[in-house]
Amino acid sequence: MEGLYFNVNSGYVEGIVRGYKNSLLTGQNYSNLTQCETIDDVKLQLGPSYGDFLASLPPNPSTSALAGRMTDKLVSEFRYLVAQSTGSTAKFLKYLTYGYMIDNIALLITGTLHERDTRELLERCHPLGWFETLPVLCVATNIEELYNSVLIETPLAPYFKGSLNHQDLDELNIEIVRNTLYKNYLEDFYKFVNTDSDFNGPTQEVMSEILQFEADRRSINITLNSFGTELSKQERRKLYPEFGKLYPEGSLMLSRAEDVEGVALAVSAVAEYKTFFDAVGLSQGGGSMGGIGGSDGKSLEDLFYQKEMEMGKLVFTRQFTPAVVYAWMKLKEQEIRNVTWISECIAQNQKERIGNFISVF
Amino acid sequence: MAASAATYKDRQLLAVIGDEDSVTGLLLAGIGHVTDPPEAQRNFLVVDAKTETSEIERAFQTFTQERKDIAIVLINQHIAERIRNSVDNFTDPFPAVLEIPSKDHPYDPEKDSVLKRVRRLFGE
Amino acid sequence: MSGAVGREPVFPTRQSLGLMKSKLKGAETGHSLLKRKSEALTKRFREITRRIDEAKQKMGRVMQIAAFSLAEVSYAVGGDIGYQVQESAKQARFRVRAKHENVSGVFLPQFESYTKDGINDFALTGLGKGGQQIQRCRETYARAVETLVELASLQTAFLILDEVIKVVNRRVNAIEHVIIPRTENTIKYINSELDELDREEFYRLKKVSNKKQRDNAAADAEILAARQKKKEAELQAQKSTPAQEATGATDATEAAEATEEAAEPEEPEPVDVLGEQEDNDVIF
Repeated sequence: MEGLYFNVNSGYVEGIVRGYKNSLLTGQNYSNLTQCETIDDVKLQLGPSYGDFLASLPPNPSTSALAGRMTDKLVSEFRYLVAQSTGSTAKFLKYLTYGYMIDNIALLITGTLHERDTRELLERCHPLGWFETLPVLCVATNIEELYNSVLIETPLAPYFKGSLNHQDLDELNIEIVRNTLYKNYLEDFYKFVNTDSDFNGPTQEVMSEILQFEADRRSINITLNSFGTELSKQERRKLYPEFGKLYPEGSLMLSRAEDVEGVALAVSAVAEYKTFFDAVGLSQGGGSMGGIGGSDGKSLEDLFYQKEMEMGKLVFTRQFTPAVVYAWMKLKEQEIRNVTWISECIAQNQKERIGNFISVF
Repeated sequence: MAASAATYKDRQLLAVIGDEDSVTGLLLAGIGHVTDPPEAQRNFLVVDAKTETSEIERAFQTFTQERKDIAIVLINQHIAERIRNSVDNFTDPFPAVLEIPSKDHPYDPEKDSVLKRVRRLFGE
Repeated sequence: MSGAVGREPVFPTRQSLGLMKSKLKGAETGHSLLKRKSEALTKRFREITRRIDEAKQKMGRVMQIAAFSLAEVSYAVGGDIGYQVQESAKQARFRVRAKHENVSGVFLPQFESYTKDGINDFALTGLGKGGQQIQRCRETYARAVETLVELASLQTAFLILDEVIKVVNRRVNAIEHVIIPRTENTIKYINSELDELDREEFYRLKKVSNKKQRDNAAADAEILAARQKKKEAELQAQKSTPAQEATGATDATEAAEATEEAAEPEEPEPVDVLGEQEDNDVIF
């Protein structure tokens, strides 16, 4: 049934994305990249996929410049998709950008708090998180003004409403603000894919799984990273998204966890996460933060990324769903990270760790 | 030498003039310090391609001459190159000026003002 | 050389000669002590320079590793944390304090790093993701900064030692080339002045003794003349009473001889002193 009308409005977008997906770097490409001696070689290897975007780079560019151009390509492709989409698909794509918007707004809040010239910050904002009224926020000179304009001008208003007031922006650590927003965003996104009638079927299934994973990952990370900081358990709990495989029992246990073992225990109900924890040896009393990261150099975060990529790859086995856009974006981002990593290794002559990237194709 | 003992007792901080990555890393190590308002002063300066040389110069002078709480000034070597004259002319023992490599510019001992003196002393 | 440095403005007296001699002795002791200090410092200095060279190379490596761990962070976070880090820096957690070490009386500062507890501006950075990498990166950088601090100590020691050695060497040279020659000059000057005085004295004494001799001779002649007269008178008288006169004459000559003998022991002494002085004169 779902395929019946999907292609009327969104078939083109999906087709394009599948095309984009084919330009993702493969294992073969990566192994070529790791053989490179200089950044110029890397540039050359990337030629087929990134062509024009890299052309204007100076010889031997910095890795950040390289990453910047690759992001530009992702952005321009995504913008094209947005331009082609309508209805629920358009809305879905909008949701994808909210995550970046949160980062941008967090940046602006930080800048405003320290009374920096916020106009300079606009350059630093992620282009995907750009929205028309973003520059308006720069007019704000104090936190209260900023808060009010955030509420009025941005699509993120609902995430602020109810959970943060303008005093919070002033007093809470920006990371808490960011994670509160992100939590609200994930919950909203989750609700959206599960309630929109257009997404019954594959989208709902796939996206629910992905978002649940994302929510769990955040909960686990937040818990792990909060050890030894002033973040109280209560505050920490407020940052956990209220869905996901760990919710509610796992979340509750996470909120009570006091060390890595506690986290391992909390997630042990979910087989996948348990294997991750086992793989990096967290369950065996490796209490210190420095101990995270197994002997083969894979950290928990690496495993999460790996999992995310595999889920992204699986999405392409489904049809008639805008979830492929989400998957493509995530894969592409990972690809940019991979290439940055590889070129960083080359630039800094640290070849022994060069294989530490995640490739799923 | 007794007089200088008093001057370095209250020097506790490190200062840094560097590119974004170097500064970020060093700040992560915890050297960042912002003095209390109203005259909030940072002990670090991020330099990029757009930063004026005069601004670097000013920061260098502030860190080395005006502030009495800085024990060590770290400066990226490629930035030190831009204000080479000031760096070479600064020979006071306090604060210690240290040229450090940056990510994109590996360390070149030939350019270091102190190492140059070392080499000269040994007639190499 | 010695002519250029001149001499100290002193009166050429025996007392100042003594002073100068002890001053010369002091200068020589000081010179050898300072020389030894300078040697000790130079030894230390060479050692430090060698270590600086090594430490600078090491720093290159350490900073590279640190930069790489930052690359790991940007990989894990998937974005730029630079700005946020810059803005959230408030209180320095990593600080240094200076101890000092005594090398031959020179205090070399030694920076010692310590972390101030309870300050953690970046505890929550990367809360959502990348926190572990950030944590690790912080540790790597903290270690790198420790190396830098070590290097800074060396470098400061280098600069201070450089300065101190220069000062010490300047002093050594000053003592060697100015103070010692000048003191020696002064001593020479005092000695020559004293000799001059001695010669004057000698001359004076000689003059005095000459005069005395002359006076004595005159007195003797007078006495002799008087005696002659007496004798002649006696001879004339003897002709009348020869026996009585003869005994009186022997008495008188005996008395004159006694007075001459009393005067004589005075004479050899000055002669002796002068003889000595004459020997001295040959030396100078």
